[in-house]
Amino acid sequence: MTRFQKMIFGLQEFSLLIKDIFAHLGSVKDNWTETIQEMYLIGTKSFFLIFLGGLFIGIILAIETGHQLETFGATAWIAKTVSLGMVRELGPVIAGLLLAARTGAKNTSELGAMQLSEQIDALRAFGASPVEKLVIPRTIAALVMFLPLTLIADIVGILGGMLVSNQTFHSDISVFWNTAVTSLKMKDLFVGFLKPIFFGFFIATISCYFGLTTKGGTTGLGKNTINAVVYSSALILVIDFIFTKVVWELL
Amino acid sequence: MIELKNISITLNDNVILDDVTLNIEMGMNTIVLGPSGAGKSSILKIILGLWKPDNGEIIFEGKNVCKMTDDEILQLRKKVGIVFQGNALFDSLTVAENILYFLPGKKKLSENELKYKIEELLSFVNLSGTENLYPEELSGGMKKRVAIARALAFNPQVVLFDEPTTGLDPINTESILELIEKLKQNGTTSVVVTHILDDAIEVGDNFIVINEGKIVEAGSLEKILRSKNPFVNEFFKRFIEENHNPFIRISKEVNK
Ligand SMILES: Nc1ncnc2c1ncn2[C@@H]1O[C@H](COP(=O)(O)OP(=O)(O)OP(=O)(O)O)[C@@H](O)[C@H]1O
Ligand SMILES: [Mg+2]
Repeated sequence: MTRFQKMIFGLQEFSLLIKDIFAHLGSVKDNWTETIQEMYLIGTKSFFLIFLGGLFIGIILAIETGHQLETFGATAWIAKTVSLGMVRELGPVIAGLLLAARTGAKNTSELGAMQLSEQIDALRAFGASPVEKLVIPRTIAALVMFLPLTLIADIVGILGGMLVSNQTFHSDISVFWNTAVTSLKMKDLFVGFLKPIFFGFFIATISCYFGLTTKGGTTGLGKNTINAVVYSSALILVIDFIFTKVVWELL
Repeated sequence: MIELKNISITLNDNVILDDVTLNIEMGMNTIVLGPSGAGKSSILKIILGLWKPDNGEIIFEGKNVCKMTDDEILQLRKKVGIVFQGNALFDSLTVAENILYFLPGKKKLSENELKYKIEELLSFVNLSGTENLYPEELSGGMKKRVAIARALAFNPQVVLFDEPTTGLDPINTESILELIEKLKQNGTTSVVVTHILDDAIEVGDNFIVINEGKIVEAGSLEKILRSKNPFVNEFFKRFIEENHNPFIRISKEVNK
């Protein structure tokens, strides 16, 4: 098969996986233990990473825009820039990219190792479906957990920006907070909270797809793990662009 | 009866099975013999519908496995247990969890009933007391026996054993072979893939010899031993010679 044919074939397989996920979504009630466990793993294990990511992006955003705005004597605008920037764009994208690396690599390497050691075959052989037992719990967990994690990145980012502009540009903390919160309109929140749901869905499904299709021993597993992280990161940027350009204008 | 009719399968331009036709009689022990890479494990994967053949059909209880819906295949698999060559234990689960993972209706059983079931199965394979260990804490032979206990947990009608005695010491080998005999008395059908002739002959009723993806001989032990096929003769030569080996003959007589 040529590269192009392989890609088309892969896309077809991926769509079949997604179709399978939707067809068996109801099975999640039989696999609560797995789903809760995956939620717990995503939530607790990614918390610190997201916290740090959000904090530093918020701080950097405040410093960079603050210096520009200071020359116009407009440091009061830092609050608005930071809060809109975090909630609409940077919060979801940073959280998405960090989670694509963390959750994506985890899913692909786990499922890939299971595939290579015939554990996936064993699941099927004993009358269980890998999609129901492994893929759906991971997808649901990502769908549920990405939103609160993004929210944490948003809030921590705004707080970081607030501290920096209080220290560096002497803005008043309560004024900053009030401006930050009141600048956010329904539409901003809607877009900012819808993104992580899409990101979560694609990170989970792409990483599970690459895990389940692993072949060729440890080299193959390494290659698929890289592919999962690369494809889901790239897709996050594309989806983000679509949201910013298309969805925003439609609303 | 499980029938494979004209099964062919090619993976990555490699012919794995070529026009394989065979019957597995219910209630009997069928042995699949052949050298490494002959396609023995592939036959088991085909029977379970894990691999789809390019050609041919598999008939199980009068139904064509290749034409079954996903749900029907899941139902079929609940009647068939398998011991994978590489064990394929779930390494994130303990021994007990591995064994109970697929037990249908386990939610209806009480804690004590489940505990009893585990103890019974583990003592069956000489592994009492290992309930809470993880697969990585077990030796190769112990893993194999956990895999056997897992395959037997839901009382399947048919058990597919892929090299059940490879890598086991003589005592455990004997107990596995006795177990296969015991299963037969309970009406269970076993398909045993192996290349250890002594074990094959001890439990086998029907024999299938396969080489390079093709069936070369099939039938009773006498039929196989009388075969004119040069490959079969070569394969069984060492066994026949060993039985003429005075040391083995004398030790067998002494032990009687
Ligand atoms: N997933 C796979 N993809 C491609 N080829 C495979 C795959 N699995 C096995 N093969 C090939 O199929 C052939 C038969 O393999 P199989 O595992 O059935 O052999 P076997 O008789 O069980 O051998 P052994 O006694 O060594 O276990 C081999 O030539 C092997 O290279
Ligand atoms: Mg094999």
